[in-house]
Amino acid sequence: MNIFNNAALLIGVPLLFAFSIPLFGLISKQLTKWVTLFTIGFNATFSLYILLAHKYPSVVVMGNWLPPFGENLYVGPVAALLVSLISVMGLLIAIYNLWAVKRGDVTRFSVLFLMFTAGASGMVLTGDIFNLFIFMEITGISSYALAAYGPERRALGGAFKFLVVSSIGSTLYLLGVTLIYTQLGTLNIAEIAARINQTTPGLLTFAGVLIVSGLAVEAELFPFNGWVPDTYTGAVNGVSAALSGIGAVSGVYALFRIAMTVFGKDGMYVSTYGKLDLMAVIAILATATVVIGELSALTQKNVKKMLAYSSMAQMGLVAVGFSIGNELGVYGGIFQLINHSIAKAMLFLILGVLVASGIGENLDDFRGLWKRSPFLSLAFSVGAFSMLGFPLFGGFWSKFAIVGASIQRGGWYDFIIGLVLFASAVEAFYYLRIVSYMFSSSEVEHPKIRVSLAPAIPIFTLAVSIVAIGVLPQLVGVFSSQAASEFVHKMSGYVLNVIPTITAH
Amino acid sequence: MQEFLQNYVYLIGSMSLIGIGLYITLTDENIFKIIVGLNIIESGTNLFMVAIAWHPKAVMPIYTLTNKLSINGKVIAADPLPQSLVLTAIVIGLGTTALALTIGIKIFEKYGTLDVRKIKEAEK
Repeated sequence: MNIFNNAALLIGVPLLFAFSIPLFGLISKQLTKWVTLFTIGFNATFSLYILLAHKYPSVVVMGNWLPPFGENLYVGPVAALLVSLISVMGLLIAIYNLWAVKRGDVTRFSVLFLMFTAGASGMVLTGDIFNLFIFMEITGISSYALAAYGPERRALGGAFKFLVVSSIGSTLYLLGVTLIYTQLGTLNIAEIAARINQTTPGLLTFAGVLIVSGLAVEAELFPFNGWVPDTYTGAVNGVSAALSGIGAVSGVYALFRIAMTVFGKDGMYVSTYGKLDLMAVIAILATATVVIGELSALTQKNVKKMLAYSSMAQMGLVAVGFSIGNELGVYGGIFQLINHSIAKAMLFLILGVLVASGIGENLDDFRGLWKRSPFLSLAFSVGAFSMLGFPLFGGFWSKFAIVGASIQRGGWYDFIIGLVLFASAVEAFYYLRIVSYMFSSSEVEHPKIRVSLAPAIPIFTLAVSIVAIGVLPQLVGVFSSQAASEFVHKMSGYVLNVIPTITAH
Repeated sequence: MQEFLQNYVYLIGSMSLIGIGLYITLTDENIFKIIVGLNIIESGTNLFMVAIAWHPKAVMPIYTLTNKLSINGKVIAADPLPQSLVLTAIVIGLGTTALALTIGIKIFEKYGTLDVRKIKEAEK
């Protein structure tokens, strides 16, 4: 067990600065945005250092209480990769916010945004099942408030819906955690994972169903994703980008950390203890999510709503990849998660720039965009191609891996091949429709759009990284395959790294 | 019967509170009542967590000379951990409720109603 206590700074520093931002706000409102930027910048640098200098796997021990006593953080391959993803996305969106967030209460927006990234990082890092709940609530409460931010009144309805669904979800999660606690008397993820088969199967199944339904809210799985379209459409574009690029990442992580590591049974393909195989349940829910999300996106005339439904469908694909349960499937899931997070955040940011320059959110408003802004049209096309899995763009490799994994698994999982192809075909239809609208000429001559530097930096960086991942998939592939092996081998990948002395029962 | 009540009344009560709360939240159309429903679910969960740590003959989990925590090696003290978890959960519930009420007030300012159906109509 390596102890690397400095990793606690990834949560501590953003929380410290989040609560001291009102003080900076007394000096200047502009300053608060820069403080957010530098704090998340620190997080991004430090997490990339952990990832690239290979400081994992290591455990953060609080107050010298070694796990399973005390509360610990675990920096494994998954946590290192996802914290880097969350912080880098947070950094880019913070750069965008320098330009986008001007009106309203800038100070409090900065506080909430910093809390949001801190909570999401905490969810990914924590090694305690109750701390996961606390970080989920930190992320949740700040994201409800962020979703309600903005001049438009539709934001309020979306935020309220999100609040209701998500609080019910986290309460169900808490109930499930309590049930597990009554059986095992511990809250440490590693210890629960090692002793999970000492529980009563019936109660364990009930707890599992409660926990999965609670976490499926944040992971945007059907039927707990009714909030997605309203919240994403209502929120300002920077917040929608943050919800899909940061919030969804931590939600999916939490879902599969519980389903695969805590409930999981080591084997060729991960299945779960209890009377019901939760992985199969998640596979079915995720399939329904993909079908419903894609078909709803197809009928939308409003581009923002289309992106919201598409986000739902893509998260379904991520969950399908994970739920296949072998190393290639989880690899595809994580890869898809990263691709989706990058591309969808970029599309929302582009939409934000377009809306700010007076172009509406409707499909017709995209006509002739190529003449007005070649940069934005090209970036949007890159994002769209990655979404639908065009070769040489990021999304291709992840969908390819998911299909490969379902072929490996065989049996009824073969239908996933059809599902991925169906998703790609529908996505091709509605994304290419936007792209063709952009490149068609419009009768009326419009002035050119000037993109300021602050939104141009994140959009350019994200577009370049999509192409880079598409050409060189090893860039992300190396880390995702390590992460996949942590998810699939629960004892050697997770439990023994946290508590070396424990034996599986 | 009395023993049954002593042992199970809190568990049954908490589960019914959760059920009542879920019913209100899912079926009611008034935003304020939905928030009340959320609160009832939270109270149910908190009661459940306290109830599992307790049994009728439990003593307080603080060791003194007169308060023995275990008899013949069998622990008779109430489990203190769920109670500390409940404290956290109560605080989180308070935050959620406060935020929900704030959003509710804002909705009333902008739409002039708290009825979910009327808000949906106004959006179209």
